[in-house]
Amino acid sequence: MTGSNKQRPKYERGAGIAARTLRSELAVCLWFPQFALHCELQRHHDFAARPTAVLAAEDARRLWQVSPIARRAGVKPSMTVSQAVGLCPSLSLWEADPVHYDEQFSNLLVVLSDVSPVIEPAELGRVYIGVDGMEQLHGSPQQQVDIIQQIVATWRQTGGGQEMPASSVRLGWGRGKFTAWVAATRAKPGAVVIISDEERADFTASQPVALLQMDPDIHRRLWQLGIRQLSDLARLPELAVVSQFGKTGHRLWSLAAGEIVNPVVGREMPEPIVATIDFPNPVADHGILAHALDRLIERALRHPRRAGWRILEVQARAQQENSASWMITAILKDPTAHRDHIAEPLKVRLGHTPPTRPVETLTVEFTMFVRGTDELQLFARDANSSARAGRRCALRTALREIRARYRHSGLYQIVEVQPRSRLLERRYALIDYDP
Amino acid sequence: MTHDRLQPLNLPQPVQVQLDSKGLPLSISPHAFVSFHHSADSERQREMRASENKLRPVAAVIEVWRVDDEWWRQPISRRYVEVVLEGGRHVVLYEDLNTGDWYIQRI
Repeated sequence: MTGSNKQRPKYERGAGIAARTLRSELAVCLWFPQFALHCELQRHHDFAARPTAVLAAEDARRLWQVSPIARRAGVKPSMTVSQAVGLCPSLSLWEADPVHYDEQFSNLLVVLSDVSPVIEPAELGRVYIGVDGMEQLHGSPQQQVDIIQQIVATWRQTGGGQEMPASSVRLGWGRGKFTAWVAATRAKPGAVVIISDEERADFTASQPVALLQMDPDIHRRLWQLGIRQLSDLARLPELAVVSQFGKTGHRLWSLAAGEIVNPVVGREMPEPIVATIDFPNPVADHGILAHALDRLIERALRHPRRAGWRILEVQARAQQENSASWMITAILKDPTAHRDHIAEPLKVRLGHTPPTRPVETLTVEFTMFVRGTDELQLFARDANSSARAGRRCALRTALREIRARYRHSGLYQIVEVQPRSRLLERRYALIDYDP
Repeated sequence: MTHDRLQPLNLPQPVQVQLDSKGLPLSISPHAFVSFHHSADSERQREMRASENKLRPVAAVIEVWRVDDEWWRQPISRRYVEVVLEGGRHVVLYEDLNTGDWYIQRI
């Protein structure tokens, strides 16, 4: 299915920035539509059969992702809460929790890295997997995507997307990210579309131009010019398109004509980060060692190589008197870049299996990483959303403590329902607050 | 944030109202305020509540208006009266014109 490499197209400009080994021309696009909604359904199992929606992260008065049941009631993304509740009074709403979605998505990326080192997240719920050379390892493209589907199934079973229906994942296989993405959009839920090199030109030619990511104004102009399919665009002289739309026009025409292949570009994992402290006098006191762990983790977190990555595995080791050594390792259930969350499991282990002799040198090493929230570009790009995420994190911790004590939080949030209604009781409503 | 269901805020509470000859409220009955208090009141709050439980005369009528809505399903027909009680508290009362019952709401 992969076909021959004759007439191999040139690479898109700028694609060769990454190391050669972390670039792949053949791509699988794994697309998980409505990822955020599925994350919420995973947390709230009993809502699966009810109309639900997730509110927009940047404007909590509008809907972002809407469940199929809610869609059947006429609810659509971008609607205001009041419009949606008017159409579907039983609609259940969740405020967006971008940090949680990013964590879930990061965990998916981690398991996918078992298939291929070339992983490129595109947006929340969409990731490209480079599969160059996988023919020799796993066989045909169908066998390759079977492996990926198995990996995703394992991720779901181990808690990542436990309640996410397998049928919601779509896969596309093709040469270049664009072909793989278009193939994934054409796949039925839970299915895969494989586009061989021989089929690629015909397949892309028959697709609508709307699949090209472009400015709405350009899309409108193309529509007015009667250009509906990629073949219509490719049939135009390249120079004419460039003269009309400039650099963007060149990119659009090249993609439509299959002149360029945009490869999957992976990112190398950072080298382990090490922080060490030498004690002038050997230390045996548990409190001092725990304090030193905190300081070392802080120092390692400040390392420039750590930026954009969260810690998955951390190791603490010590050189003891008489050359004896000591080591503990912790794999974090939730990868984090927060000092206390990293230190906690280490301190527990330090309490259970402390060094047998006074410590002369203590070292903390971050050994495994996952991509950080700031890499997933949907959210947390600006200071405001980061601050919101931080506040939500603090609230979540406080709520956990309240629930542990009183069994329920008793916290509610006020939302506008029909703020202009003449009936006072219809203007605002309370909803359970569970960040 | 999870919404099990939306719980409307400021639901109307039944109230007994004494009217003057023009049909405007003269005073409202004590249990009008019950729903505005929490069960875990302190001694002082209980004292305040006891004082509030007296009949509350209306000091002034601010505004009167009428709302007729939803005639296409269950008609709503209300006569609203915004009043200031003695002591300075603002409340909104309305008469359900379909049943003749009175209700109180906060502004």
